[in-house]
Amino acid sequence: MTNQQTTRVQITSGMFIAMIVNLIFVKAIGVTQGVIARAVGQDMWLATLLGTLQGVAVMYITYVAIRKTPNLDFMALSERLLGKWIAKVIALIIFLFFLAGFGPIMITFVYHLQEYFLPEAPLYLFIVAPLLVGLLGCFYGLEVMARLALVGLLFIFLLNVLIIMGSTNEFDIRNLLPVMENGFPRTFAASLNFDADWALATMLAAVVLPSVKNADKTGGKNGMIGIAASGLLTMIWPILEGAVLSAEVTSQYTVSCMKLARNAHMGHFLQRYEMIMIALYSIPVLFEVMFCIYATSISAAKIAGLKSNKAMIPIVSVILGCFGYWIVDDHFRAIDYLENYWPRIALPIAFGLPVLLLMLRLMLGKKLNKA
Amino acid sequence: MKRAAGLVITLIILLSQTSCFGLRQINELAIVTAVGLGLGDKPGTIKVSAQIIRPADARGQTGAPSGGTGQPIYSISAEGTSIFDAIRNLGRVSSRRVYWAHNFLIVMDEDYARKGIKDMVDFFTRNHELRMNTRVAVTPDLPDQVVSTITGLEVVPGEAVDRLFQNNHVVGRAPASDMMNLEEAFLSSSTEPVLARVQLKPRGISNKKPEEHGSLKQVELGGAAAFLGDKMVGWLSVKEARGLLFFLEKLGSGIEVVKCPNNDGVMSIEFKRARLKVTPSYANKEPKFGVRLTTEADIVESGCAIHLDEGIRQDAEEKLEQRLKSNIDSVIDKAQHRYHSDFLKLGDVFRNKYPEEWRVLKRDWNRTFSDAKIDVEVEATIKSGVLKSVGTEIR
Repeated sequence: MTNQQTTRVQITSGMFIAMIVNLIFVKAIGVTQGVIARAVGQDMWLATLLGTLQGVAVMYITYVAIRKTPNLDFMALSERLLGKWIAKVIALIIFLFFLAGFGPIMITFVYHLQEYFLPEAPLYLFIVAPLLVGLLGCFYGLEVMARLALVGLLFIFLLNVLIIMGSTNEFDIRNLLPVMENGFPRTFAASLNFDADWALATMLAAVVLPSVKNADKTGGKNGMIGIAASGLLTMIWPILEGAVLSAEVTSQYTVSCMKLARNAHMGHFLQRYEMIMIALYSIPVLFEVMFCIYATSISAAKIAGLKSNKAMIPIVSVILGCFGYWIVDDHFRAIDYLENYWPRIALPIAFGLPVLLLMLRLMLGKKLNKA
Repeated sequence: MKRAAGLVITLIILLSQTSCFGLRQINELAIVTAVGLGLGDKPGTIKVSAQIIRPADARGQTGAPSGGTGQPIYSISAEGTSIFDAIRNLGRVSSRRVYWAHNFLIVMDEDYARKGIKDMVDFFTRNHELRMNTRVAVTPDLPDQVVSTITGLEVVPGEAVDRLFQNNHVVGRAPASDMMNLEEAFLSSSTEPVLARVQLKPRGISNKKPEEHGSLKQVELGGAAAFLGDKMVGWLSVKEARGLLFFLEKLGSGIEVVKCPNNDGVMSIEFKRARLKVTPSYANKEPKFGVRLTTEADIVESGCAIHLDEGIRQDAEEKLEQRLKSNIDSVIDKAQHRYHSDFLKLGDVFRNKYPEEWRVLKRDWNRTFSDAKIDVEVEATIKSGVLKSVGTEIR
């Protein structure tokens, strides 16, 4: 999609916030909390809180980098500042970021469905089906995806209300004590795992902020609200997982939110929330897949010098599908990638790219004004 | 062209969403409602017994519907070198695929529990089919007998035992152990697991032969099995289990029977709103715990045959305090001096208040716990005689 086309599509602030929440929430409540629980035990909610604060700061930097030219995304901005070839490099970085980010998204999606519901179904089904849905949504464009994210946000609220209601009986606050048992440095280090989740959201902002109405005035505020809302909606889960399951139990599972859902019950008749959870989870996780296709397709179009991203949608879908399949095919590889490789890819880009572009803007701002 | 492509994609999406993979028809399933685990006849093997619903007989009321056998359950057992292996071997006997999602109860025999339950905890938490509020208990009887005994008012015996656990807060003589709290205690570094005890007792009276009192065995829930790590170390009596519940669960109420001050009669006192508070302290590198139980109580039955005046009240309060203290002291004594296992969650309380000291003490916590000084204090206040008047005598 070109810049001209981008500016024609307008999404509201609410949609923008919803997109951020959808992109962060799905992995953060379960897969990430399992990783954090293995690092800092019952302090996982604190690590999530620290991660949220860092996310708010980086989102603000992303906004500041774009603020004065609200019609330009990171790729267009770098083209204006440093020329066509550097813009292609930035586009390649964004492409690789979302390609790498597709791994954890598929880990979340596949391990929820396959492990808990359809262990006998072939793996390709869990790759092809969401990609087809994502491809279709992406084909209809950003506005359709943004509207879908609004529905996803409603589902997330419902899911949180249900899990709170289903878990209060077993809530034992003693399981969350002592606070900061592992000390601040270790808790902060664990928060980097949540940083890898909001990294997707700040990069989303780097790509779609020009399409948000009044991005120059309210983009920063909305972005920060989005991250903060995601943090708060997510934080309910580590609190419940710690208090209901205990940190030791949470740390044992790849998808710890499903473990919480499996334990949840309302009275004696409404038991096992797994299916409810998946139903309410479907839109946000499909939005994640959709957005990965969208972001990789526009960055691939930029690299290839195409005016529209539509031709790239099927191509990037195949690339994402192959990569996703390779990652989730082997659990050992998946967990290794999730815990060791993905944060090392996500964090330098999510922290570094906004800071780099902000510095370039400060140094080469005059050039931009002349253009 | 675009429409054709759209149609093809839509069709592929629809085909991929039909959910036919992993399909299981309900009439092809053997729905397990209780499972027994014991040691197999051959050394190194495990015996799994399953109570399976017989759908034709389990629907509606008890008794045999037309075409049924009158037996709502079908029980089978198999052996294997692991639980999974034994379960797969059940498939050799069962005409339907064994399905675990509606299991109510896992009951282990004492020998199996003493050997270690690590594999059992792992299997039943690793398997996605099982629900986590499945009750878990240990029995001194044979588990295959327990799971094949028709017990309780429910059509399905597994459900009847589940109901015993659900109503456990009324009786308060065994912990309401399930997979959730077993897994939590099993993985915790600051507490040890404790499971309910179930056993067969001749409590049922046959309607056809009422003169043979107690001719039918029924499952009784009472007492507990204490563990150290994954191995059972011994039993707790119903009295000790009552004391245990104050530590593990919110045992809000219960009945205690005390002797009358003036005759050989007894008085039943229902304690209510019981609250247990554990206060840890640490001095001279030794942990110490203050345990304080406060409760209100009502006199719900009096065989004392005298007016319930202030003197009787004070006497009853003292006796109730002694009884409750005795319950708590007995379970503490067993935990500290007999089993050397902190299943009372005192380690949890200590860890929460003294995290730095815990880092050192946790390495050998059960020994430290065994030597710790624990002071128990009980305060009971009798507030009413329920419907009958107290205080002023009829003149």
